[in-house]
Amino acid sequence: MRLSFLLPLLIVLPLLTAFLIPLIDILAIALRKILVIISISLELVFSLSLLFYFSPLGKEKLPISYYLGGWEPPLGISLSLNHLGLIFSMLVSVSLFLITLYSLEYIEHHEGKYYVLLFVVLGAMQGVVLTNDLFNLYVFIELLTVASTPLVAFDRTSSAIEAGIKYIVYGLLGGLFFFIGIVLIYLSLGTLSLAEIALSFSSLPIPFQETVLIFFIISLTIKLGIFPFHFWLAKAHSSAPAPISALLSGVMLKLYLCVFLRLFWVVLDFPLMEASWLKSFVLYLALGSSLLGHLFAFQEEDLKRLLAFSSVGHIGIIVAVLLVNTPEALYGGMLHIINHLIMKSALFLDSGYFLQFTKSHLIKDLKGVFHYNRYLFASFVIVVLAMIGIPPLNGFFSKWYMLLAFVEEGIHLGGIVVILGSLLAIPYYFRVISYGISPCEEKPVVSLSQDPPPASLMIFTILALVVLTVVTGIFYFCLNPILDGAVQELLPLQIYPPFPGGS
Amino acid sequence: MNQLFFLSLFLLGFIGMLLNRNLIKLIIGFEIMEASVLLWFISFTNQGGNPPIYLLDKPGMVLNDPLPQALALTAIVIAASNIALFLTLVIELSRYHKASDVDKIKGLRD
Repeated sequence: MRLSFLLPLLIVLPLLTAFLIPLIDILAIALRKILVIISISLELVFSLSLLFYFSPLGKEKLPISYYLGGWEPPLGISLSLNHLGLIFSMLVSVSLFLITLYSLEYIEHHEGKYYVLLFVVLGAMQGVVLTNDLFNLYVFIELLTVASTPLVAFDRTSSAIEAGIKYIVYGLLGGLFFFIGIVLIYLSLGTLSLAEIALSFSSLPIPFQETVLIFFIISLTIKLGIFPFHFWLAKAHSSAPAPISALLSGVMLKLYLCVFLRLFWVVLDFPLMEASWLKSFVLYLALGSSLLGHLFAFQEEDLKRLLAFSSVGHIGIIVAVLLVNTPEALYGGMLHIINHLIMKSALFLDSGYFLQFTKSHLIKDLKGVFHYNRYLFASFVIVVLAMIGIPPLNGFFSKWYMLLAFVEEGIHLGGIVVILGSLLAIPYYFRVISYGISPCEEKPVVSLSQDPPPASLMIFTILALVVLTVVTGIFYFCLNPILDGAVQELLPLQIYPPFPGGS
Repeated sequence: MNQLFFLSLFLLGFIGMLLNRNLIKLIIGFEIMEASVLLWFISFTNQGGNPPIYLLDKPGMVLNDPLPQALALTAIVIAASNIALFLTLVIELSRYHKASDVDKIKGLRD
């Protein structure tokens, strides 16, 4: 296990950078940009080298673990990496790399504080993915909440601060319920290591197991913004600066999905959840939440709120399809996690780019934005088509697999929600596009003769995401080996037939 | 009896959080909830032994489990930083609205 030293580095490097940024600011502010770029590139290189060595095509086999300080379990705390962790660690590194590049041009005030918080968030995200200890998971989740709240309220306008307050109140409540779940587990099992809990959790009395599950489900529905708790999400995700919206809506929600997958499939007893009323309750709740999210997006006047409610819709459908728990369903759900991350980040970063010209997020103010930068608007249209699910873009394939999974298991309501979501997405996105390409006869805020603001890095980031949208669409089967590995980890192999879509 | 006490403390905090429309009182309600969980955790793992700072050198000596106390301390630190952040945001908000009442601030109602 030569490469296991990379696991702590993935967490320590961003935290160290966050610590170094204020020190470097004292020396010379010009150095800060270099430090940020070097550190985020190193993080990407570490992640890519893990992918290179541990992908099914690579030389070494997963899972690997690293014992912090050389203390072996049960005394010490360990980090571990399996296929699921590899996927999410990659997603976090790549998207944070692009978001940081975008921020270099987008953020124009208090950059020092911004990058400190961004790197703490990055470290906490890698921690959530890699940790192998329930309490560490809680600490990293709370660290995410603490570090991302100032980023939500970063603009310090009245609405941004209100969004920050809402975000932290729901974050605190979610964290408290998570903590109660941890306390119950520790009191009954006397251990906090995820592996040991997974071994002995099913020996507990069934009503007690259900109580623990209920607390974790409440916590994660709050964090994921599923139906009764969906309203904080739109406010928080739309009031933040554009790169932070992409971070929250694109990456952080997926991270809570990773926690969801690890907790309920690997650690806690999934057969119990499948047998009890909890599974179908959460499944239909998530489906209803998905439909509601699309309906709210349909009547929204503000582009960023529209995108945030569309996230509610997509997260609902992903949670529902994962709970179906067949190989196809898990495959479709995880493919959609990857695709939705790429598409939603691209759309939020696009909205930040348009903001330079319109100075407002209202859809009617987007009038004529097409004429400022035609190539970029064309890329926006491509991502919107992917979001709706037009073949051969990436949204189509994941939606197709989700639809198949629902229909094969006889959950027709799920199939209807997938199709209705796509149908509802057509009018609300096309309203944006039709405003965008309509000629601007009124006086524009920034006149066309004026030079557009320098934004080469912003454009590069958005185009990179659009290229990813197209590539993961056409070559979606290239992801199969690694997704296959993750699906195999989530399923008890002896019960299920070999995975159909795999390599 | 003890369990009932912690449960009622938890519900007291929860109801306080739901019914109070004042941001500061709302977070006090949350603090009561958090405190009730921590108290329950610590008291439940107290087997009537010595504090876990002594060596186990005498026969028949019982030490309490140190791990819950470490966890509770960590949770207290996390809660403190969260509350500090929350109060900072409330102070920032008071620059725009001369109120800490949820109903009087339009952006917090919906």
